[in-house]
Amino acid sequence: MSFRSRIRPARTGGYELRLAPEERTLLTVLPAHLLSLLEDVGETPPDDLPDVLRRLLPPAYPSDPDAERAYESMTREDLVEHHRESLETMSATANATWLDDEQLVAWLAALNDLRLALGSLIGVTEDEVELPDNDENPAERIAYLYLGGLQSELVDILEQTLPDPVPGADDLVPDDHWGEPPGGLRWDGTPQPRYP
Amino acid sequence: MTSTGSRTVPTEIESPETHEVAAPDLPWLVIVWNDPINLMSYVTYVFQKLFGYSRAKAHKLMLDVHYKGRAVVASGPKERAELDVARLHQHGLWATMERSG
Repeated sequence: MSFRSRIRPARTGGYELRLAPEERTLLTVLPAHLLSLLEDVGETPPDDLPDVLRRLLPPAYPSDPDAERAYESMTREDLVEHHRESLETMSATANATWLDDEQLVAWLAALNDLRLALGSLIGVTEDEVELPDNDENPAERIAYLYLGGLQSELVDILEQTLPDPVPGADDLVPDDHWGEPPGGLRWDGTPQPRYP
Repeated sequence: MTSTGSRTVPTEIESPETHEVAAPDLPWLVIVWNDPINLMSYVTYVFQKLFGYSRAKAHKLMLDVHYKGRAVVASGPKERAELDVARLHQHGLWATMERSG
C-alpha cells in the first residue's frame, strides 16, 4: 500500500477517490450490514437497543425518562433516516472514482456511524491502538482501524471547506463551565489521560 | 483557569413540572461527553461546523471533552438546546442536555 492520499479535491470540483478494490468491497458490505440492523429499531428506547446501535441513537435526557420519551418521539425518525441516508450514499458510491461535496459529507457521517457500531461491538477502550493478543474480533478490529484512517483523511479535507467562524460565537459559552474536575479524574470518575 | 463558581451551586429541590413556567429564561446546557471512539479531529470539525466556533475554540472544547470527560458546548432555551443535541446526535457525538443551575 502506498502513502498517497486516497481522497483529494479534483481540479474541476468534487473529489477524486482512489481506493483499492478490497477497500471498496468493505465500504459496500459494512454499510449494508448496519442498514439491516437499523431497519428494526422502530421506537426501541436507548437502553433496550443492541450494544452495536446504542451509540448511534443516544438519549438526550438520560436521567429523565418522560422527557426522553417525548424527545425521542420528536427526533428518532429523523435520526435513523439521517444514518440511513449516509450509509446508503456510501454503499451506492463505494465504486465511484469521483464524489461531489454532498456525497463526501455523507461518507464522513457513514464512516463515523460504522466506527461507532464496530467500536461498540469490539468494546474499544480509551486510546487503544495495538491489536491485543487473542483478539476475539480481529477482522472487526482491523476494519475499525482502517475506517479511522480513512475518516481522518476526510476530516482533514472537509475542514478546509468550513465557512469562516461566526463572529462572537466563541463567547457564547465559557471554555470551562465546571472548572477543573477533582483529583486527576474526569467528571465521570475515570482517570484523566495525560496531556501529550 | 477560572471556574464559574456562582453557577455550580447544586439545587437540592426537584421542581415539579407546574413550576417550570416560573423560570422560563433559565438556560439549558448542551453537554458533550467523552467517548473512546470519536476521533479528536472529527469532534473539533463538528464543533466548528455546527456552532460556528473558531478552530481554537472548537479545539479547546474538544480537549475539555477528552481530558475532563465532558464539556458544555452550547446553551440556550430548551427548544434550541434540543435542536443542538439532535444535530450532535446526527453527527455521532454523545450529547445530552440539562437545565443550568
